[in-house]
Amino acid sequence: MTEILQQIINGIAIGGVYVLIALGLTIVFGILGIAHFAHGSVSMFGGYLTFFLAAQHGIPLALAITIALITGMVLGVLIELLAYRPVRHANHINAFIVALGLTMMVEGANLQFFGAEQIVIPTGATRVFSIGGVTLPELRLYVILAAAALIAAMTIFVEKTKTGQAIRAVAENRDAAILMGINVQMIPLVVFAISTALGVAAGVMVGSLFAIAPGVGEGLVVKGFAVLILGGLGSIPGAVVGGIVLGVTEALAAGFISSAYKDVIAFVVMIAVLLLRPQGLMGRA
Amino acid sequence: MLEIQSLRTGYGPIEVVHGIDMTVREGECVALIGANGAGKSSTLKTICGLLPARSGQIRFDEQDITNRKGHAIVKAGITMCPEGRQVFPGMTVMQNLRLGAYARKGADLDQMLDMFPILRERAGQAAGTLSGGEQEMLAIARALMSQPRLCIFDEPSLGLAPKIVAEVAETIARIKATGMTILLVEQNSLMALRLADRAYLFEAGEIVLEGTGAELQTHPEVVKAYLGH
Repeated sequence: MTEILQQIINGIAIGGVYVLIALGLTIVFGILGIAHFAHGSVSMFGGYLTFFLAAQHGIPLALAITIALITGMVLGVLIELLAYRPVRHANHINAFIVALGLTMMVEGANLQFFGAEQIVIPTGATRVFSIGGVTLPELRLYVILAAAALIAAMTIFVEKTKTGQAIRAVAENRDAAILMGINVQMIPLVVFAISTALGVAAGVMVGSLFAIAPGVGEGLVVKGFAVLILGGLGSIPGAVVGGIVLGVTEALAAGFISSAYKDVIAFVVMIAVLLLRPQGLMGRA
Repeated sequence: MLEIQSLRTGYGPIEVVHGIDMTVREGECVALIGANGAGKSSTLKTICGLLPARSGQIRFDEQDITNRKGHAIVKAGITMCPEGRQVFPGMTVMQNLRLGAYARKGADLDQMLDMFPILRERAGQAAGTLSGGEQEMLAIARALMSQPRLCIFDEPSLGLAPKIVAEVAETIARIKATGMTILLVEQNSLMALRLADRAYLFEAGEIVLEGTGAELQTHPEVVKAYLGH
């Protein structure tokens, strides 16, 4: 029983990372219909930048993360303006090609700036709590809390603020949103800023929990899209539920079956869910 | 209030409106009638900035608003209740109404809910779960939330049961009675002409006839082609 609990907690921590990645992907997909493949690499850029500032230049970690988040927002705006906006009205395949090219560019830039060495963001959070036989490393706890706070903030933003409602409106019906007086040119900029900041947060989490190295970002974006499909395309609650489900399934699979097969098992579960609910867990039929 | 001069518009290589002139005066209810594909809805979309004008001019309150961005046109005081209702299906009735007031400060939801009691009953429900008639009421209420000076209705009766059509007509009449300036496109020509002070008849992208609602109701050509008796 404690073993199951242990794996569930491990799964929630990694699931939180998946949720943040998937949230960024799902709002971009919902608004623009773009499969933003470069998202993982951009997230890793945020992790690298945090490492670069904190470990190599001695900037306090909290400040380094803040700088990385703000840089992420600016980068998101630039990506929308320079990469995706020009192909906005073109055939969808163009945005697809742009996304792939952008992935390569960002991966290349990461390699150029930060090298091929694997890095781990030093957090200093090394305590381990133990509650009734279940061990909870301090760092995992922080990751879970930070992910929960960001998910809550995102939900409140979308449901309760005017801009958040405008984002939803554009996702549901672009023309009707124009008729409401929403500036639909502005919305994608806001969406990319938020999406990239969430991605950077996830990148920092990956960098502190595990490690960042070339290729990690691409693996993460694949998981992100798996979560998106599992939860329902464009659905925010779907991204949350899907991310946790994927994270916990992986952890249970790794703990009880084999860590070598955890991805296989996670994708089998995903396929099984989609056989029963083709629209995803929270998607509309 | 609204003046359109030699307006041409269309989709891609196809021009569907071939240079029309029309006006809507303050406090007036003007209807555009005519067959499917005659260019009525395209004209409305061009006014609202959803479709670019190829040439010609649209003036609102003496200001040139031709090809302004859609959100700027809403700010200027024009709102449209679009064809097919176009409510935000996953959002609640209240959220839809609040979005109607997006372009201005504040939102007097209570007043709107008094005017449309059915929406008060459905306030927390997702708009996509409402019946067609309820969605039409929501679309109308949402349009009014922006406190427009010109309210445009595009095919408000489309796809609704006859009893609901009468309700929609009655609602538009009520809005007209408040002094609102209205531009109405409607397939149901009889309903449109009864509501309208003036009307324009569209045929193949051109205006072929203009007159008061009463005049056109008895005009032989209109009677033969559109009123069917």
